Amino acid sequence: MSTVLYEKKDGIGYITLNRPEELNAMNDEMLAELDELLPKVEMDLDVKVAVFRGAGKDFCAGQDLTGVKTYEVLSEPGEHLTIKKRMEAERRRNRRWEYIFNLAKPTIAQVHGHCLGTGCYLSMVCDITIAAEDAQFGDPLLRMGLLPHMPLWLYLVGIKRTRELLFTGCYIDGIEAEKIGLINKAVPRDDLEDEVNNMATGIALMNCDALAPAKDAVNSVMEARGLGAAWRFTNDMQLVMQQRTMLPEEFNFFSVREKKGLKAAIEERDAPFKKFCEER
Amino acid sequence: MPTGFGWNFKTQYKECFYEHNDYREWDFQTALYEKVNDRVARITLNRPDKRNAFNDRMFEDLAAAMHKANDDPDVRVVIIRGAGNHFGAGHDLSSPEGEESPPVHPSVNPTLQDYYGFERRRCYKYDDITDYPKITIAQVHGKCIGASQIFAASCDIIVTAEDAQFGIRGFGSQLHGLTEYPLWPMWSNKAYAGRAVTEISGKEAAELGFANKAVPLDKLEAETLRWAQVLSNLPSEAVAVTKEWMSGMQDIMGMGGTQRAHYHAHTGLQYVRFRPEELNLYKEKRDKGLKGFLKDRAETATPKAAPKEKK
Repeated sequence: MSTVLYEKKDGIGYITLNRPEELNAMNDEMLAELDELLPKVEMDLDVKVAVFRGAGKDFCAGQDLTGVKTYEVLSEPGEHLTIKKRMEAERRRNRRWEYIFNLAKPTIAQVHGHCLGTGCYLSMVCDITIAAEDAQFGDPLLRMGLLPHMPLWLYLVGIKRTRELLFTGCYIDGIEAEKIGLINKAVPRDDLEDEVNNMATGIALMNCDALAPAKDAVNSVMEARGLGAAWRFTNDMQLVMQQRTMLPEEFNFFSVREKKGLKAAIEERDAPFKKFCEER
Repeated sequence: MPTGFGWNFKTQYKECFYEHNDYREWDFQTALYEKVNDRVARITLNRPDKRNAFNDRMFEDLAAAMHKANDDPDVRVVIIRGAGNHFGAGHDLSSPEGEESPPVHPSVNPTLQDYYGFERRRCYKYDDITDYPKITIAQVHGKCIGASQIFAASCDIIVTAEDAQFGIRGFGSQLHGLTEYPLWPMWSNKAYAGRAVTEISGKEAAELGFANKAVPLDKLEAETLRWAQVLSNLPSEAVAVTKEWMSGMQDIMGMGGTQRAHYHAHTGLQYVRFRPEELNLYKEKRDKGLKGFLKDRAETATPKAAPKEKK
């Protein structure tokens, strides 16, 4: 294990995303390690609560956009794959979120710094999210012509706010995230760890056998509200999105990245929205 | 197949009314179409003396304008606003007999099947707004009541004046808060709690998440253009797919079913019998005129607080 650290203490399992230099961006290696680790955590009777957190200054900046060893996180244009292959890839991407959402243990996301794109999705599929007041939440995928693909947006913050946040790609801080219901609680940065540990310890006092069915009961309500179909529908729409055409005058993230590098591509992506989001 | 009620049987099935080409050379009267710049189109509901209340013609003009914007490949964002002092006052209650826009006069006496088909068609007009492939922004000021509010709710983004007034009144006080349910996109029990009467200001609408941004009236137009400008940077095909995903998500979350419940309820309400002491739009309109009805309705809708009991 190198990109994900795991530590067990007093009935709490700490899962730490560990690529601090890259703002804990998700690449194939990190996802493979999570895929390997999570079933073990789920089966471990000594762990009552799982806490997700990020090493360094950020929780997670989302997908690794370098295009190097990121097949699992991002479909690159120009990949000549069969529909079946693409479908399998999209399913794996969404089923990972669905699996964490339904993990048979309570999960807490401890969020500080950047929490963007798939990083934000990870915090959304956790049962509880506690964040630093100055944490930054956002989903700028549409700016790159990618489908923002987390169904929970609509359930958590409603239709109008979903549209606003996904269309503008603007980031919101922990305080606003709490206000609109994206997270449970925003606390000062210095209190974050204590607050999470306090809640995790409290949950760990519960009967372990009761926690799993209680979580399942809550999740079955979401299932009844259509979440099960929503994951599947989202797979299909991601597949459709891969067939989009960019107009010549439109910003093309992937070709700019190829010509000028990743940093320039991200800057060019965000430039038209910068002033608007600051004043929003 | 003619049904004797002014529309064809086939139109009772769902169709997207942007698919017609009728809008070419359209004579815009009650809704005006303009291009603000290359990428932003603006539609102005234009019946200011009627507070932009919807009648059949305005629905048609609006549809033609939406269609026109959709077929212009340069347009990325469509703004919809109201001329005069208001965004819109809902359906035009003074519409002449025979208009599709409710209230359909009881003397028309359509068959159940006619009326059901008509209600379904009316509800799907708003569905077509939700499913519109480009970004829509409602620029709301003054009154935004009833059908006008449903229309604004069906747009992607609402930018509103702080003192705008959202609400629903229905034909009488018995409808408060019910008819609006399927299209009130807060999906939040919290926002509903204790709100049988859903009348809120633009400021409160933004706080509840019904509107996206509330600004003072004099800044409304500039603010709306700011949103349109920034959103017109997005790749158009990616926006269309993302909107399709969101609309599909809404269907999965029950929006399709609530639409159906909505027009079922409306069809049922057509056959409501008023008790003698209750406010009856048709009777009041006949006896006292529309103004008289509105005055009486305002009094029933906001009854004076009952006098406190003496201790």
